[in-house]
Amino acid sequence: MRKVFLVILLSFLVVCVGLATVTAQTVASSLGMVAAVNPYAAEVGAKILEEGGNALDAAIAVSYALGVVEPYASGLGGEGYAIISLASGEKYAVDFKAMTPAAATYEKLKELGLKISTVNYTPKGALVPGIPAGTQKVWELGATMPMAELIQPAIDLAKNGIIVNETFAQTVSDGYEKLIESAPDFLNDGLAWEVGDLFTNEDLAETLEIIAQEGVDSFYTGTVAEKIAAFMAENDGFITAEDLGNYVAYVKEPIHGTYRGYDLYVPHPPVSGPQLIAVMNILENFNLSALSWDDPLAVHIIQQVLTLEDVDRKYYISDPDFFDLPINGFTSKEFAKMRFMEIDLAKAIDPDTYFDHIGNAYPYENGEIYERVMLEEASKEALAAEDVYEHPSTTHFSIVDKYGNAVSWTQTISSFWGTSSYLDGFFFNNEIGNFASSYREGDIINLTPGIRVRTTICPTIIEKDGKVKYVIGTPGGGRIISTIVQLIVDVIDFNMPIDQAVKTPKFVGYSSYKDVRIESGYPAETIDFLSEVLGHKINEYAYPDLFFGGPNIISVEDDGMMIGAGSIRRNGAASAPEM
Amino acid sequence: MKKVFVLFLMVILVFSAFAAEKVNFEQPIMITSGGQSPGALQMKVLAKSAKLDYAFEKTISADEFGAGNFKTLIIVIGASGKGLGAAGIDIDAEVARVEGLAAFAKENGIKVALFQLEGAARRGTSTDLIIDVLAPYADAVFFKADGNEDGKFTQLESDYPVFFESFEKTSDVKGILTSNFSN
Repeated sequence: MRKVFLVILLSFLVVCVGLATVTAQTVASSLGMVAAVNPYAAEVGAKILEEGGNALDAAIAVSYALGVVEPYASGLGGEGYAIISLASGEKYAVDFKAMTPAAATYEKLKELGLKISTVNYTPKGALVPGIPAGTQKVWELGATMPMAELIQPAIDLAKNGIIVNETFAQTVSDGYEKLIESAPDFLNDGLAWEVGDLFTNEDLAETLEIIAQEGVDSFYTGTVAEKIAAFMAENDGFITAEDLGNYVAYVKEPIHGTYRGYDLYVPHPPVSGPQLIAVMNILENFNLSALSWDDPLAVHIIQQVLTLEDVDRKYYISDPDFFDLPINGFTSKEFAKMRFMEIDLAKAIDPDTYFDHIGNAYPYENGEIYERVMLEEASKEALAAEDVYEHPSTTHFSIVDKYGNAVSWTQTISSFWGTSSYLDGFFFNNEIGNFASSYREGDIINLTPGIRVRTTICPTIIEKDGKVKYVIGTPGGGRIISTIVQLIVDVIDFNMPIDQAVKTPKFVGYSSYKDVRIESGYPAETIDFLSEVLGHKINEYAYPDLFFGGPNIISVEDDGMMIGAGSIRRNGAASAPEM
Repeated sequence: MKKVFVLFLMVILVFSAFAAEKVNFEQPIMITSGGQSPGALQMKVLAKSAKLDYAFEKTISADEFGAGNFKTLIIVIGASGKGLGAAGIDIDAEVARVEGLAAFAKENGIKVALFQLEGAARRGTSTDLIIDVLAPYADAVFFKADGNEDGKFTQLESDYPVFFESFEKTSDVKGILTSNFSN
């Protein structure tokens, strides 16, 4: 009997040791790596890798887990985009952006006496969610474990609970007025969840169990779809059973760009992949490695390039199924040379004239060279910029497995808490807020049934000599591209280790901001120089600030060692199977 | 041993003499915000849960308050830029409003209780300004323990000889309301 007990005990210990993972802000391992904005979610991914799953398996499990541990930032009611690089060399861009319901039009809103701003935090603000369909598409591309097993860790977290951290508690506190109105069942007996509380979500566990048992289709055509359609009908939302049934996630080849010998793989429109390539193409013309991260000239150059390409984004990025836009031109090196000439090294562009500086990408669409185009000199009328507040919401994770597969995945419900409409444990996105506030002739973000609205997310994989080198991404609304560009410049031009790149104070170049929003931590001389010599209006934030996103990154070293760095701005972590 | 006991007893007695006594707050109660953070709305939930006779007005003025027949004024302190923006007031106007309310209460024999529900996460220059302005009017101050990491409330307690009580979790406030505000 005693021997039997010892054998059982030993077996248990072997299993425990065998399934060990390491989780911390920065982790190194050759057995796989997950970096996310939440340690529970990162650990879920690492355990899947430990159990023999690949990066795609881990990504699906992390996606569902994030919906439990960060219900304010993503979840079943959300959308996203993933970039995948398989060890076999195949690359995929998986678009699971939310789709506009058939009934959502300006005419309908007008008929009801409503505007986009008034429905943004109501069920009418929700577009058809894409996350479940995204997980299914990714699974079909090469996952190895049954979907139900990949959803199970999220069910366990929802049932057993998580300890509430500072980000969770602060986000609940900030959204409390909306939550007590729209989602009292989510709260802790009507009160805000506090740091140290055990948060559970039985309703979400039940919804996830339905999806695990009946399949992802249950969200679009089955049991969950029926509940969503009934909820929307009862609460005057736009989404119908037909909208849900019509939803599909797309798989394409990613957009490819280069930067100083590295290959960049990024998403297609309607998200910001082309903008990232455009920014890097322009920056390639500057000798940034001769400067340092805190040199005012480096900050000035990067900030001005980001701002110019944000202006261009507003003209060239929208749903490609609805608009024929010059993406080849926008992402070409020749267009970048023309934009490079727009940067004044001695003076900041006057923010009131940002939209006088639109770059015309159309002439570059078929490979034209910049000298010829500029001789013909194109001009374009400026559109007024809308100053919208974009939340530091959304979430991102990066994964690399020991086989050489990599996934960069960003998902969101738009604002924190989305519409704040709550059904069976999850919140619906409020992507409607990303459309033009009212119909504007010729605008590429007018509210249109079926369209996937433009947003700034940009999960990115960077390769060197055909091998994954960096997996990068961040949440952060309008700051996403600024933060990703700084991460890339920090690791490639300034040779920073990735944990330092994550920690380095960030700044923003964004056409909606008339000032330079910058985290504190830059030398006083840099700030003074930017302000007094170059003419920037500086708006300094505390350090670290969630406003600048929650970047996380994985690097793969030449010897195969993977280093993961979780976000310091959002209590994030990296997690890996223990070596 | 006996000497030690006597000394201990004396210390206890000295401290007891300085510690302010618990206050019995009467109903009906007006609950308002001091800084427009979500804390005030949480107090409404707690008051309902404690079955108190209360009214809740986030931006009530002294004139509106005077028209009621309230015996206690609860001000939940916590400054929020977003909340102030939504209410259409700036911090100076908010400070003037709550000071006017507290002064009116004092002049008319209405007891004033200050609550800081949101702890360290809702401490800062604007919140501290409201605390400093209102402390002289308070009959009691209740604060979340982690909001006192810098000793702010300990200092106030030595400056103003009124009843101070700390709590660990917001949910503990229900017990405070039941034992101090149920008359």
